[in-house]
This record gives sequence, C-alpha cells and structure tokens, in this order.
Amino acid sequence: MKPESPFYADSLQCLKASSLFNQLDTAALAGILKRGRRETWKHRRLLPMEEIWQRFHILLSGRVRLSRCNPESGRMITLFLHGSGDGFCLFSLLDGQPHDVMLEPLDDVTLLSMPMYEARQWIEEHPDFNRTLLPYIGQQMSTLANLAADLALHDTETRLARLILRHIDETSSAHIEPTLINDLSHESLAEMIGSVRVVVNRQLQHWKQEGIVDAHRGYLMVEKLNELAQRAERRLVSLPDNVPVIPTQ
Amino acid sequence: MVDDNSCAALYRTHEQVEVAIRVLQAAEFDIRKISIVGKSYHCEEHLIGFYKIDDRVSFWGAQGAFWGGMCGAAFFWMPGLGPVVLAGPLVATLVGALEGDMAVGGLSALGVALYSIDIPKDSIIRYEAALNSDQYLIIVHGTQREVERVYEVLVVSESTDVAIHLS
Repeated sequence: MKPESPFYADSLQCLKASSLFNQLDTAALAGILKRGRRETWKHRRLLPMEEIWQRFHILLSGRVRLSRCNPESGRMITLFLHGSGDGFCLFSLLDGQPHDVMLEPLDDVTLLSMPMYEARQWIEEHPDFNRTLLPYIGQQMSTLANLAADLALHDTETRLARLILRHIDETSSAHIEPTLINDLSHESLAEMIGSVRVVVNRQLQHWKQEGIVDAHRGYLMVEKLNELAQRAERRLVSLPDNVPVIPTQ
Repeated sequence: MVDDNSCAALYRTHEQVEVAIRVLQAAEFDIRKISIVGKSYHCEEHLIGFYKIDDRVSFWGAQGAFWGGMCGAAFFWMPGLGPVVLAGPLVATLVGALEGDMAVGGLSALGVALYSIDIPKDSIIRYEAALNSDQYLIIVHGTQREVERVYEVLVVSESTDVAIHLS
C-alpha cells in the first residue's frame, strides 16, 4: 500500500489498535503497509487454504472464520474467529505448509496480504516483534486447547456459556454484548461449539426465559453474567484466566 | 456480463492513466476488460463530445482525444460528482443498475454499479471521494489469477492506490 493511498491512514490506525502490532513504532508499521496488498473479500466467499496459504493476511475490517468441514456429513467446526487487527495463516507462516482449513469471511472484509517470504523477511528485520508474536501464537494455541477440552469434557450448555464468556468485555457492567459473535446466526454459533443450530436455538431460548440472555435474530446480550458464569463453571476444573468469576449473591 | 473480481487503481492525471493502459496492453491484457472512470471537469472551457470511428469510441474533452478503443463509453452528470465519463464494461453495469432501478443505501448511481461488481461500500466511498478530487479510477475485471497479475503491473505504475476486490 502506498502512503498517498486514501486508505493508508485508516490502515495504519487499525494496525496501531491491533494487539499484535500495537507495540511497534510507526516506521515499522509503515514497512508492513508498504509490503501489504490491500484486498477485499466478499461476505461468504469460501476460500480453501490451498489457495491462500502462501500469503500472510492481516484483517483491517470485518471478520473471518477458519474452519474444518466433513465433506460427507457437511458438519463444520470453527477453529478460529478473527476480527480487525488479527493476523492469519499464522501456522503456515511458522511451518511453511498448507493446512486443512477453510476460510470464510463473515462480513465484507478488507485485509492486507503479503507473500509469506516477505512476512518472514519483515519479522527478521524486526526481532522485537517476536515479543508480541509469541504470546499471540500462544493465545491461538490456547484457543485450540480450549476448544478441544470443551468438546471432550463438557455438554452443549456449558460449551455455549463458555463461548459467550470468552467474547465478553470484562469491564462492561450490567448488560454485556459479546464482541465478534454478537450478531452471528445460531448455526454459526453451533459451529463454534461442535453442535447444531436447533440445539443452540433451544438453549438460547431457555436462557432467555430465565432472563440470562436477551437473544433474537442477529442480537445477543448477556443480562445475568453471574448465572452464565455458573453455567460455564459446571463440571469445570478452571476457567480461562480472562473470564471473570463473579460470586453469586 | 463482467467478471466480478477486479483490480482497482487510482491515478492523479489522465497521462498516468494512459501510461497504465499502455503498459497493460503491452502485457497483453484484454483491453475489453478495462474500465476507466474520471470526472470531466472544466467543461465550461472545453469542447466535450464522443465520436466513433471504426468501432472505436473516443472521448473529446479537456484531456483531448482520450480513452479510444474502450468497449463502451458514457457521459453522465451525477449528483455529488458532477460530470463523469466512463469507459469499458462498467458502462453496461451502470446502465443495467439504472435500468433495473437498483438502489443501495447512501450510494450514487456509480456507487451502485461498483457495488454490483462486489466492491465493498467503504471502498466505494473512498473511490468516489478520490474521483471528486479529480483522480481517475481504472478497474480491470477478470478471474482471481488475472486480477492478481494486473495488480503486479499496476502497483509499480504511478498509481496512488491499487487494490484487489474478490467477489
């Protein structure tokens, strides 16, 4: 991207706000923008990894999910849900290999894309970046570990509660709107917890009757965080560090 | 019908546009897949018109004879943009949008045409602002592979911005 581009200032701002890049100075961020190709992908465009694994991508706006699908049953599991400022194809960046995942934009997305060799070259030129890259990769691995543990150890209600808790802003007060997942369809939510639409729909309706959440088409709001945390804690050994445990009244 | 994948580039002057088109032609890109949009400013001071010789449409305006050889050309006066000249397959898309009475919230007729070839709204708003400041927009339609090749050509030209829009 060229500095005279009308999209440059917003893209720079996005990188500065990103947890992955916010420790870098403006010159280093300019280096990323210079190497990056601005792309937009339409909502619901399905991209097999073999088409894109040779490039590293940074989301500037919108959401992309990485998922795996069983072609025989059509069942899908979402492995990662990325939002603005996130980088993806990280594993291919590390091992130089394609991985069996499908990418799907959940919105019209804008991103920066650069060849893997350029991304690696940039990282070599900016070793300080590893201080944020390694924890970021650790967070991604933790996400996968949580998903595996949830699928193996918990029932659907607990998994759904934990999914919502992972996407809420701890600093919010009474009514909490989850980030990234708040307007997803029940089918998409189901694909994030290894369930199906009808089960998620039934569970949300049940919680709605109990006043725990307010859920309707394209909208999800947590009304009783304590109750939801209790549902997530059931049969749990521990909650992730970032989920607040609020004592019941 | 045009391919919905595109590579879009902005240029400050029509000379830069002409150079870019010549480079694309030299690289054997199909000129029938190229669209150009620009404002026809200073229209009070210059003769403006279209003419067609040997199946090639040319535009005459402040820039002199320009945009010859494109497939289709049109001149519109658009609210918010003023006099706009278009050439290439985008003309058919724009006319189709107008005839189909397509409307997309907050977008001009040109914006609707760009939206219908899967350029997202936030990009359209910036492109329209660039056109308003007398820049030119080149759009090359094609398959993903084609638009990626076009990007490699246009990014080293004197463009102010180049982007790939995948449908």
